[in-house]
Amino acid sequence: MNAAPDALVPPEHRVAYPNVTVGETLDGNRDFAADAIVVGTGAGGATAAARLRDAGLDVLMLEEGGLHRTETFVTDPATMIHRLYRDAGTTMIFGRPPIIFAEGKCVGGSTVINGGMSWRAPERVLEHWARDLGIPDAGVRAMEPYFAEAERILHVEPNDEDTYGRNTHLFLAGAERLGWPVARAPRDMRRCMGLNNCALGCPTGAKQAMHVTEVPRALAAGAALVTHARIDRVLFRGRRAVGVRGRFVTDDGRRLGRFRAHAPLVVLAAGARCTPGILKRSRLRARMIGRGLHTHPNAKVVGLFDAPIDPWIGTHQAFHVHHFLEQGVLIGYAAVPPGLLAVALPGVGAENARWMRQYNHMLTAAALIEDRGEGRVVLGPDRQPYMLFDLSREDLETVHRGVALTAELLFAAGARRVLLPFADLPELAGPDELRRIAERPRVADTIELMTVHIMGTTRMATDGSRGAVDPSGAVFDTDGLVVADASVLPSSIGVNPQETIVAMALRNADRWIDRRAARR
Amino acid sequence: MLRSTTRILRAVIAAIRPRGSGFDQPIDDHVLVETQRFLRYFPWTLRVGLPLGLYLIEVGPPLFARRWRRFTRMPPPEAAAYLAGFQHAGGLRSALLMGLRALVFLAFYQHPDVLASLGVDWAARADVLVRRRAELMYERGA
Repeated sequence: MNAAPDALVPPEHRVAYPNVTVGETLDGNRDFAADAIVVGTGAGGATAAARLRDAGLDVLMLEEGGLHRTETFVTDPATMIHRLYRDAGTTMIFGRPPIIFAEGKCVGGSTVINGGMSWRAPERVLEHWARDLGIPDAGVRAMEPYFAEAERILHVEPNDEDTYGRNTHLFLAGAERLGWPVARAPRDMRRCMGLNNCALGCPTGAKQAMHVTEVPRALAAGAALVTHARIDRVLFRGRRAVGVRGRFVTDDGRRLGRFRAHAPLVVLAAGARCTPGILKRSRLRARMIGRGLHTHPNAKVVGLFDAPIDPWIGTHQAFHVHHFLEQGVLIGYAAVPPGLLAVALPGVGAENARWMRQYNHMLTAAALIEDRGEGRVVLGPDRQPYMLFDLSREDLETVHRGVALTAELLFAAGARRVLLPFADLPELAGPDELRRIAERPRVADTIELMTVHIMGTTRMATDGSRGAVDPSGAVFDTDGLVVADASVLPSSIGVNPQETIVAMALRNADRWIDRRAARR
Repeated sequence: MLRSTTRILRAVIAAIRPRGSGFDQPIDDHVLVETQRFLRYFPWTLRVGLPLGLYLIEVGPPLFARRWRRFTRMPPPEAAAYLAGFQHAGGLRSALLMGLRALVFLAFYQHPDVLASLGVDWAARADVLVRRRAELMYERGA
């Protein structure tokens, strides 16, 4: 093999983006027209757009955020949070406790900032949808080809062993000592290098997020994309959706000109917070729109080790513990940049400094909780969507169980101290103290939780009294209006939802295409 | 941001920024600029709410700590103790401190001098791995 040329760059740095209009550069008001409008370019939106384009439709993608090319990605959290995150990562789910929620606002949506986990929804969840909720073709066998196709689109593969850091080896050692089986995590990537920058965009291009896969594929096939386009509402003629209207906005949200886009098919894929917000602003009064919010919260648990770990070196989440999924707990680990991890550690000033001096000795793990309680999305006085969610008593118990299991794993891995997400029980000095978690009063307010996995706010059901969309994702009591994001998932799935969103978008898009063909 | 709120924010940074344990870099000005840079990306509720919160901190000592002077006139140890009291106060005061901590810590700990003192060089590693992956993909024929 000849030496590589000096100017060699990863293939994702050379992706072409034809047919893109940058909304923040447009003056005045604009009108667009297409066969199908897709609002949002994340896992669901980009997948639906590419599928519809493949079927020959003239597709227009509208994205509120900007197009940030892989070669512009850097490792500085502040810079990337400004560029890629909605509200600079400050979105809150209000309730007891308040939960920090992060989602992408850029071409590719949250696929650009997620950890790249690509799990199928567990079989018991799919069977629940098919058997208990009566959703046709949502069971394991029916969904199989869609998951297979999703894995092809996402380019799912496990990590190479040369990307494992000490955090991975410690996580594996802890699980092994406890006799807990681990699952090697499938991820959407092509030759991950273990840079550990997934949450701020992957500069190496290894993560196969939608901005390097389905969005450019749809564009190359003739679809169009308008960035910086924030949707205000869906336009109707009678009960038929005929388009959307909105405004162009700058990266920091300043409002510019107005636009209308006209199409006989409107696909909403703006995420489980904004999609119900758009529907509510569109004066749809169906009771179930915005209900059924699941948050899949995660509780951070940090292990402090005597020997250095250098947690920023080596891939994160190459493995998960799925052993407790039936109990609603998934355990993973992550590499968190110093500026973000410090927020999860106690104190200010000198106290915080003492903890952070040990940064290279810390392994950050987390328990992800399959929540049973439900919250909702409501419109505030400013007509923006706000999320309300209280941990149920059962969920509160699961959080404690998850934190205890995660702390147990860290102690088994050799941690000498473990930091907990409880303000009133911030640390454990050894495994003997694990009982203190069980003894802790079940107070929700002092638990620190965050999430990147909300779902279920326009969920699929067989009738409008139980859900907002039908089993193909079509909004009840409307024509030509469908949903293709995590909003449609009928229940909490307990694992990272990316692949299930893609699979469900593929499944539903086939139904919209069939319906359109039947009408002709 | 108004001059008055900038003055309060500067005092907040001085009170809660990490100190000791090798974190005495003189970078308060950098932290102030970075913190203000975040503001324009906030939702309008926070763009309005944060300055109000800073005024609450400024006039709060008599209400919350029985101290009879404004926050910006407190000596640093007293100011730090006053703000630390917000952590367990619950409600808006806790949320306010949590938000300010997040902004200050993000700007502080990601400063190149601080990262160097921690022995963390994510950016250099990124350069190496981008190049290495390009070579690997080239060898694969991608």
